[in-house]
Amino acid sequence: MNAGQIISGTAHVGLLAAAIFGGAFKAEPLPFEVTEVTAISSEEFALLVAPDQEPDALANIDTPEPPEAGQSPDVPVSVEETPPETAQPEVNEATQPDPIPEVEELGPPPQAEVSDEAPVLQPPEEDVAVLLPETSPQPAPQEAPRVAPQPIAQPEPDVRIDDVDQQAGEPDEQAEQSEPETEETAQEEASDRIVTEAEKLEAAAPERSVRPKTRPTRAAEAPETQTAQESQTDDDAVQAALQQALGANDGPADSKPSGPPLTAGEKDGLRVAVQRCWNVGSLSSDALATTVIVSVSMAEDGKPVTSTIKLLDSSGGSGSSVKQAFDAARRAIIRCGSKGFDLPIEKYAAWREIEMTFNPERMRIK
Amino acid sequence: MRKWIQCLTAFAILFAAPTFTLAQEGDGPLRIEITEGVIEPLPYAIPDMVAETAQAEDLARQISRVIAADLSGTGLFREIPRNAHIARVTNFSSPVQFADWKAINAQALITGGVSVDGSGKLVVRFRLHDVFAGEDIGDGLQLVGTTDGWRRIAHKVADQVYSRLTGEDPYFDSRVVFVAETGPKNARQKQIGIMDYDGENVVYLTGSNSIVLAPRFSPSGNNLLYTSFESGFPKIYLLNIGNLSQQELRTPQGEMSFSPRFGPDGQTVVYSLTSGGNTDLYALNIANGQGQRLTAAPSIETAPSFSPDGSRIVFESDRSGSPQLYIMSSKGGDAQRISFGQGRYGTPVWSPRGDLIAFTKQSKGRFHIGVMRTDGSEERLLTASFLDEGPTWSPNGRVIMFTRETQGAGGRAALHSVDITGRNLRQVPTNTGASDPSWSPLLQ
Repeated sequence: MNAGQIISGTAHVGLLAAAIFGGAFKAEPLPFEVTEVTAISSEEFALLVAPDQEPDALANIDTPEPPEAGQSPDVPVSVEETPPETAQPEVNEATQPDPIPEVEELGPPPQAEVSDEAPVLQPPEEDVAVLLPETSPQPAPQEAPRVAPQPIAQPEPDVRIDDVDQQAGEPDEQAEQSEPETEETAQEEASDRIVTEAEKLEAAAPERSVRPKTRPTRAAEAPETQTAQESQTDDDAVQAALQQALGANDGPADSKPSGPPLTAGEKDGLRVAVQRCWNVGSLSSDALATTVIVSVSMAEDGKPVTSTIKLLDSSGGSGSSVKQAFDAARRAIIRCGSKGFDLPIEKYAAWREIEMTFNPERMRIK
Repeated sequence: MRKWIQCLTAFAILFAAPTFTLAQEGDGPLRIEITEGVIEPLPYAIPDMVAETAQAEDLARQISRVIAADLSGTGLFREIPRNAHIARVTNFSSPVQFADWKAINAQALITGGVSVDGSGKLVVRFRLHDVFAGEDIGDGLQLVGTTDGWRRIAHKVADQVYSRLTGEDPYFDSRVVFVAETGPKNARQKQIGIMDYDGENVVYLTGSNSIVLAPRFSPSGNNLLYTSFESGFPKIYLLNIGNLSQQELRTPQGEMSFSPRFGPDGQTVVYSLTSGGNTDLYALNIANGQGQRLTAAPSIETAPSFSPDGSRIVFESDRSGSPQLYIMSSKGGDAQRISFGQGRYGTPVWSPRGDLIAFTKQSKGRFHIGVMRTDGSEERLLTASFLDEGPTWSPNGRVIMFTRETQGAGGRAALHSVDITGRNLRQVPTNTGASDPSWSPLLQ
């Protein structure tokens, strides 16, 4: 037996002794209820469980004596009733009858407006729910109410709608005579598209985007001056090459435009300005199938010379329709050119003579 | 380095030169193409015509107003209010101050003079001016008539102006025959009325003791065809507008004859006849009484309408399962279907121009008046409402009149007109309910 075993045995024995004698196995007493009991005798118990004492069976009750034969019972006699005294209204003999009212013949009572017809609820004129676009399952946007819940004052328009375009006059302090101030007016906006009633509520989104504005006219850039003498020869060579490329050496100089040509933006600006006044709304369908080419000479201030507006060519229409189409084109040039088209004066030679082709193919009634 | 940059620039310009050349298009004038314009009423001015005699003062003003109403009613023109006029026309023969009219943007100007001569004749003279061109449009014109017929003279003047400005044939001097409706919806009384195209001068041609339907003008405008239930069954009658004499059309023995329409010759009538539960199209020459059966299908064929040249007939048939539009020869035979859209098509009417067919379409609970090409292409719906039906063409084929009925037991039928572009939808004023219009040719 080695020392380890001795130590282990001693420790275990010590541990067991400590557990037994140290109170490690003592259990706590369980909780219990305590009831106080009183001991009673059997007699007392018998008295407790005995039934209640019965009441007396006989009671002294006074019973009436039966009536004897031949004796009629006392019948209560009703006392003569006397009417209660009621207060009668006093009659005043001197009272005069009510005066006869003045009879005024009244007309027949007003007749109520009664109709045999059942009242009919007027349906909304435009049933949005029914008029969903046929081609799209998406619901159409509901129109905003057109009447405001609260009356509000109409806002001042930006410009007054008039038949004539007119800019607001500004007082000139330096002028000797003051001119009357004029109000800015503008013509009513026109449409370039026909929307039928059948199409009105189906349009859930604009079908065409807004045309971008034309690029503003650039100010003419001043040509750079050549200061270096040594580069003069090279510049001349480049200019010569440019002139040759642009055909500047063809023909006499007087019969062709001089100066730079119009840019695409400038040409677009002119085109948009003319088409703004090209009204085809009153043209016949034949005239709308007629293309006319019109020439016009322009003054330096950008205004067309009215007497020079001529019909050069036409296609697609008869004689009367050509005249209608030409008249519409001429009106467009004159109307929108009355204040001068916005064309660069330095390029006057390029737009001194203009040929305009009016092609109403996109505006045609199909 | 500088030389190199200049040479590079020169080469770039040389290559770009053709582009510049094309933009300038060589030596010629500047060329631009206008492909998009605006669609707006043409502004015009019509000051009161000059009363040249004392008796003509009221007439001058009234005639001017009727002319303005005709022109503005088209939606193609817009009258400039008279209080905006700068110039005053006091003499018909005085020169026109074009600058004054140009200042108010009047593109057309109508001036006129009215007088009543010693015999009581009404004399109206007028001129049409192109303000911006500073010249007359056409020659001045003088019309003479009775004072009672001043409205017709006004319509004639408006017709001339309309035709000169638009290039279209006129239509103001025309009449419309229609079914006047009175009483509640479940007990409507119907009678045939005739009026000016603008709703004036209404005259009733029949009584209201029987139901009448579908009056149709003859090409001359002197006779009417209509359907009446006077005998208990629908029968077709021919009515002379001048003396109001009427006679029943001798149609084959059948149950019902209805939906008549004249051919362009004024002698041939095409109509529907129901016999043995089947409805087919028949033609009848009212001059010699000869008839012809045009269709023999087990389906319902009705609402026939001749082409302007009389060679073809467009009609409605449900032979495909739903009412659709078909075209066949006026002699009968095979028919070609022309409507293929969703919905039900009916009451086709051929345009006087011959290029379009107007129709009624029912789709998704809505009724439409629409037009399509004679081959069925380019269908366009012009209107949409609870109930639109029965289109009829103006004499020039530019305007369509039709019936629009409102919803409910108290619904009322009224006549409306719309331009074939779909613009200018407006109600034709009538004193009673009105339906089933038929537009006359231009009066002579």
